Amino acid sequence: MENLLANCVEKNLSQFMFTNAIFFCERLLAEFPSEVNLQLLARCYLSNSQAYSAYYILKGSKTPQSRYLFAFSCFKLDLLGEAETALLPSEDNVDEVPGGAAGHYLLGLVYRYAGRKNSSIEQFRMALSFDPLCWEAYRELCSLGAAEEASTVFGNVAFQRLQETFVTQRINFSEGANINQLTDSDKASRDTSLWRTEHVPGENQQDLKIRQLGADIPPDTDRQLNTNGWDLNTPSPVISQVLDAPPPLLHKNMLRSAVEGSLMSVHGGRRIKFSEEMSAEATEGSGRRRSARIAARKKIPMSQSFGKDSYRLHLSPSESNCVPSLSSMIEKCRIQSSKEATTSGQSISDIGSSVDDEENKNPSESSPDSSSLISGISEVLNLLRILGDGHRHLLMYNCQEALLVYQKLSLKQYNTHWVLVQVGKAYFELQDYFNADSTFTLAHQKYPYALEGMDTYSTVLYHLKEEMRLGYLAQELISVDRLSPESWCAVGNCYSLRKDHDSALKMFKRAIQLNERFTYAHTLCGHEFAALEDFEGAERCYRRALSIDTRHYNAWYGLGMTYLHLEKFEFAEHQFQLALKINPRSSVIMCYYGIALHESKKNDEALNMMEKAKLTDAKNPLPKYYKANILASLGDYHKAQKVLEELKECAPQESSVHALLFNIYKQLKLYDKAVLHFGTALDLNPSPSDAVKIKAYMERLVIPDELAMEENL
Amino acid sequence: MATESSESEEEGKIRGGNDKLIIEDDLREMSKNAAWSVSSCKPGNGVTTLRDDNLETYWQSDGLQPHLINIQFQKKVKLQLVVLYVDFKLDESYTPSKISIRAGDGFHNLKEIKSVELVKPTGWVCLSLSGTDPRETFVNTFMLQIAILSNHLNGRDTHIRQIKVYGPRPNPIPRQPFQFTSMEFLTYSTLR
Repeated sequence: MENLLANCVEKNLSQFMFTNAIFFCERLLAEFPSEVNLQLLARCYLSNSQAYSAYYILKGSKTPQSRYLFAFSCFKLDLLGEAETALLPSEDNVDEVPGGAAGHYLLGLVYRYAGRKNSSIEQFRMALSFDPLCWEAYRELCSLGAAEEASTVFGNVAFQRLQETFVTQRINFSEGANINQLTDSDKASRDTSLWRTEHVPGENQQDLKIRQLGADIPPDTDRQLNTNGWDLNTPSPVISQVLDAPPPLLHKNMLRSAVEGSLMSVHGGRRIKFSEEMSAEATEGSGRRRSARIAARKKIPMSQSFGKDSYRLHLSPSESNCVPSLSSMIEKCRIQSSKEATTSGQSISDIGSSVDDEENKNPSESSPDSSSLISGISEVLNLLRILGDGHRHLLMYNCQEALLVYQKLSLKQYNTHWVLVQVGKAYFELQDYFNADSTFTLAHQKYPYALEGMDTYSTVLYHLKEEMRLGYLAQELISVDRLSPESWCAVGNCYSLRKDHDSALKMFKRAIQLNERFTYAHTLCGHEFAALEDFEGAERCYRRALSIDTRHYNAWYGLGMTYLHLEKFEFAEHQFQLALKINPRSSVIMCYYGIALHESKKNDEALNMMEKAKLTDAKNPLPKYYKANILASLGDYHKAQKVLEELKECAPQESSVHALLFNIYKQLKLYDKAVLHFGTALDLNPSPSDAVKIKAYMERLVIPDELAMEENL
Repeated sequence: MATESSESEEEGKIRGGNDKLIIEDDLREMSKNAAWSVSSCKPGNGVTTLRDDNLETYWQSDGLQPHLINIQFQKKVKLQLVVLYVDFKLDESYTPSKISIRAGDGFHNLKEIKSVELVKPTGWVCLSLSGTDPRETFVNTFMLQIAILSNHLNGRDTHIRQIKVYGPRPNPIPRQPFQFTSMEFLTYSTLR
């Protein structure tokens, strides 16, 4: 009965029937209380988003697996201290972090959320060393600013690691099969059922982690269970049939589990390695990319390849004809696991024997296997190197380099959502809003369901003042997912563009409610407060954003602006300096830094800063304008006039340039030119308060003129 | 300026009013940073009803004319427009008729800057504070006082349902003399 119940639970979990699974798991646990069953129940609860239940039942468990699950539940419940104690090795427990790479990654996140930056960096690095395919750990390192070069991380060491883990996996595979034969079929299937991995596309990545359970279980192996609820009762000879079943679901699972798949433990578990390989491919992409590869795979007639190529693993997307082996391998694993899911131990032995046979049949195949393995791993690592490099450059704000790196990708990979969003962000950081717009538009059109990065897209539209498109985007995003902070950010930007700052603020607050750690929403809130002139509120929001992510330079910039408004110029200087340290290529920040310096009477430095800004971004007309302003206020009217005349050529439609020229000519007593510019300035639709100012200046100009005329008379 | 329909100003008389309040983009409400007070009020119809965005609630005075609404700012602000919601059909003899707007540094040196007579107003009535001179588009002041000198049908007390005060938007870029108008400048002027 235990077996039956366990299999039933597994099946339910794989088919997303969580409440059913919980029900049966409770019966199972009641009848046969054991650690393993407890973990199974915890998994059911976690799948059903009941982290609190999992927390309670796992409290005090000692086995590494339970500790990992418990730590995960604590993390979900925001109990960071308990999560940490659960994950850290202690005397009476195993002296390493449970869950291997996944455990380290989770611990890294815990430290990051708690603000312990160095510890978290250490943990992420360990996660990567355990499992080079733990891409999320690399991402976190990039965002903390502590990532090493992609070529080192995904280089030779990683290669060796992947190779050896895969080789051991393969060996375990065959051994494991034998062991399965020998062990009690019931027990075997029970235990393996525990290690089945579920793939729930809807849930977030961390939820999926939980399903990739590391193995410190004795001999039994991990299986990949396709969520495609297969008919699990077919005996082994039907393998070829099963193979023909489409693997897209597998890959979709892989897609989600991917980032997570890499989180699987590296010790024990042969199938984990398979999933790692698979997840390696899926790791950095969207489903589309994978489906292209899958489609390529499917074309290969599986039946003929199954027998011979079982252990061959060609992972290169381009070599579609070599692909079957991996999928066939996976199928076999799946079948194995599915077989074992059934209560028939007989099938296990069948498969076990068939595997053995394969092994024996193909001694000569071993060298092609290893070479294909090597090429597979190197393909994956190549891809990761490029992506890692690009991502790191982007987060260090070396946007030009990032763009160059991303160009190196194949067209297929480039046109995936993640990469397009990265490219869009790179253009955005360069203030090249037109290119950013086109990239993001492409990304959104191709993948309307993918919301990551859409908040940046809405900001791009805001900068371009595209009210209609922004409104449309906001509507679309809300209709896709009302509960995602990005959608509400887009709506907020829409209101803000229409100058309705109160509503915009409300929207951004909603985004924050949905995800407390969404840094950008906090920054946008700050911007809205600043627009409403509530500088206290603005400061609060910016500081909150910075407490989540110290490297979010927009928040530093916002703080600097706030202090400029409040006329606390030294503070402003400090903030802009910090912002520049993070993003040294931003000409806008340099301009404001220069303004702050000027207001603090450090005029030389201010002028230098403007020069620097001019050099950094030649397209930005503002450094010249600000420089002219500073020169004018210092009384150096001739230089200012020169600069402005240049600027007039670049931006003839700008009213403020003419207004400033008018002032300068007035000071230089070149009244005709002054009047000329006065007229132009007013023609170019300045804001009403400016118009008043300009007219007021004109009044003062007229009087000396009249006096001169009277004298002449 | 705000759009106004059915307005005829003959020597400071304003007829009718708008149902909807439409304000131009370059104006923003200034009253949040102000201290509002009134010369007298009936309990339950106090000064908060003037700012609650609810046209059902109204302020009712309870004393001798002229009735005064004082708006005091912490620093000198530029004001351009005062908008009142009054309704003759609902309030009849409580509807204000002659209104005088005064500005100054404090109670001691208020000077009248505008005087209007409302004739059966029904809705939002916009009172512009600008003078004829283009340099006088704004009134730069610490304090504004709206005085109700008389009501329709010689009523003693007055009802006002809502008041809003508008001024120009500040330059989003601090410490700059002029605002930017062209796309090139605006794109590079802020980060978000």
